[in-house]
Amino acid sequence: METNVQHQPNQSVSEDRSMKYVLSFVWMLLLTGASFAIVTMHLVPENMVIPALLILAMLQVLLQFFTFMHLDFKKSRLTAVFTFSGIAIGFICAIALWLIS
Amino acid sequence: MTTIIVLLVFAMFLGGIFTGGYTSRYVKRMEESSIWGWITTVDHKRIGILYLISGGFFFAVGGLEALLIRIQLMFPNAKFLVGDEYNQILSMHGTTMIFLVAMPLLFALMNAVVPLQIGARDVAFPFLNALGFWMYFAGALLLNISWLFGGAPDAGWTSYASLALPDYSPGPGVNYYVLGLQISGIGTLMSGINFLVTIINMRAPGMSYLRLPMFTWATFVTSALILFAFPPLTAGLFMMMFDRLFGSNFFSVTGGGNVIIWEHIFWIFGHPEVYILVLPAFGVFSDVLSNFSKKRIFGYHSMVFALVLIGFLGFMVWLHHMFTVGLGDVANSVFAIATMAISVPTGIKVFNWLFTMWGGRLRFTTAMLYASGFIVTFVMGGVTGIMLAVPPADFQFHDSYFVVAHFHYVILGGTVFGILAGVYYWWPKMFGSLLNEKLGKWNFWTFFLGMHLTFFPQHFLGLFGMPRRVFTWSPGYRLELGNYLSTIGAFLMLIGVIFMVINVLLTLTKGAPAESDPWDGRTLEWTISSPPPEYNFAQLPLVRGVDAWWLEKMEGNEKMTPSEPLGAIHMPNASHLPFVMAVGLFISGFGFVFQTSEVGAIGLIVVIATLFIRSFQEDHGHHIEPLELSEKGVNH
Repeated sequence: METNVQHQPNQSVSEDRSMKYVLSFVWMLLLTGASFAIVTMHLVPENMVIPALLILAMLQVLLQFFTFMHLDFKKSRLTAVFTFSGIAIGFICAIALWLIS
Repeated sequence: MTTIIVLLVFAMFLGGIFTGGYTSRYVKRMEESSIWGWITTVDHKRIGILYLISGGFFFAVGGLEALLIRIQLMFPNAKFLVGDEYNQILSMHGTTMIFLVAMPLLFALMNAVVPLQIGARDVAFPFLNALGFWMYFAGALLLNISWLFGGAPDAGWTSYASLALPDYSPGPGVNYYVLGLQISGIGTLMSGINFLVTIINMRAPGMSYLRLPMFTWATFVTSALILFAFPPLTAGLFMMMFDRLFGSNFFSVTGGGNVIIWEHIFWIFGHPEVYILVLPAFGVFSDVLSNFSKKRIFGYHSMVFALVLIGFLGFMVWLHHMFTVGLGDVANSVFAIATMAISVPTGIKVFNWLFTMWGGRLRFTTAMLYASGFIVTFVMGGVTGIMLAVPPADFQFHDSYFVVAHFHYVILGGTVFGILAGVYYWWPKMFGSLLNEKLGKWNFWTFFLGMHLTFFPQHFLGLFGMPRRVFTWSPGYRLELGNYLSTIGAFLMLIGVIFMVINVLLTLTKGAPAESDPWDGRTLEWTISSPPPEYNFAQLPLVRGVDAWWLEKMEGNEKMTPSEPLGAIHMPNASHLPFVMAVGLFISGFGFVFQTSEVGAIGLIVVIATLFIRSFQEDHGHHIEPLELSEKGVNH
């Protein structure tokens, strides 16, 4: 069953929420555009390109987590469990790759 | 581009001729036809059947490829399939069997059973479920259409970089691999998320996590693995796609790329993938063994713990596929130890299965035969796995037929036996009739013996030095007998599959209707009619312990205690959008395979348009009223 099982959801709340999705989607597009701009238009010094890209990527990940993956609802412990085990697995893989290469 | 438009117009003409013209009644007639019903369905039971049919079809394709491989390797210096033809058949056999056979058939069982086992009326996102299926099917078709247009992928199922880059694979073959897997992989990711949400949110009242049936637990852990393992594949395939289509240099050494990165990314996905394949089979066996031993599964908590631990450790061992790359003794030792650690939870599970059978009232139905055959076969595959986990030994075994024998023992003996056991066990629930047990036993014994005859000699072929992936071998190295027996075994397996097909056809045409609980089952799916009504449960059941249905039976109850009064049931609406979106992705993928950006863009526009329509569609579903329930003969 899909999310709209409640038949009369509070109209203003649901509109607020969908506005939030649209807004963070726009922000993600802007961040992606900014990453492209940094690489193609030489906006920052050569040695700062990768750190700048990483910072933009981090911002985008946080945006993802808090709007689309509902980390802000603070309702379900499982959401946090899954998010953090995902981060942990990614972290371990990254460390291992860094150590062996 | 023009060719495609001509083909489209031609198809529309033919469609018009065969359906009686595009009149005003055309749309109505189309909506009433049963094919339209199957295309637009969002019912998890019907999607399960769609997965079963398409997985079965590709099983035939992949099996045919396997037979061709074995025919070529039957005698030394054979000229049946030489060089590139062999490479294509071999690559497609691996890719097809893993991504287009094993995974969809497991999804077939999950779709058919998991919502019933947790006492739910559907999955959490029925629309996504349909979309996942159609995307898998679009990707699968795209991969296999390569046989007709431009040649199939020929860089192996792992598609290692440098070999898979344009310098060495100039044709469109690997493009098909990249785009086909990309599309079907995203579908798989969706289905995985869907099952996670379903199991977390839609359990019936009283169905706590530690009362879930083992198959549901296995599905849960598998879906978590899919969630974490498929994004690396998606990322890797995108990099490969950009390297091949748009001239980037992620993996190309001449442009400063690194070929080893592809191996890392592929196996960071690929190792969890083999657990994605085998964990649902573990779940099937746990349910089948406990049912036909008439006992609760031995050590339920340790079984759950072992599943989760295997799932976690599955991410920590990918390097054991790369021992010979030369990453150093420390890296090899660490990953060797991690790999051996997985044998501990797996051992827990094997002993628990044996203790479940110990002292039970055993009934050797076909499903039970597959389950017992699995224990033997899988332990043999596991032992060779431990041998391969030892780096010094692996330097000898690497890229030899020993590895081929090992992974066929675990994948055939684990996943395929699991799927077959599950199909025999849940067939009545999916189709409402029982498969013939006599033919089933013929099917089991020919398939089981054929499997061992095919792959047991391959251990020795590997030890005698026969390399994998090579299309021929020379006489005089003691390889003759092994290869001969192996091919005979492959044909024995073919006979087994033919028994299965006959059995299915006989059952579909003349099968007697099955009762709701033909196996004297223990879990919730056996409390409702076979096949279940569209809404599964007229009233959601109240679950009071592990093996909920068995508990009620032991207390002399005829049915589950309902947990809610009879009321209107909310159901999702059927939708054609998933199919349209998959068609769009297929067109787009086909365009990008031939680097025709216009066609690719047209497909993507279709996808985005469907996304847009779906995003702003007010689709609240419909209700089935209690009055209609009683008309449909529900006796609650």
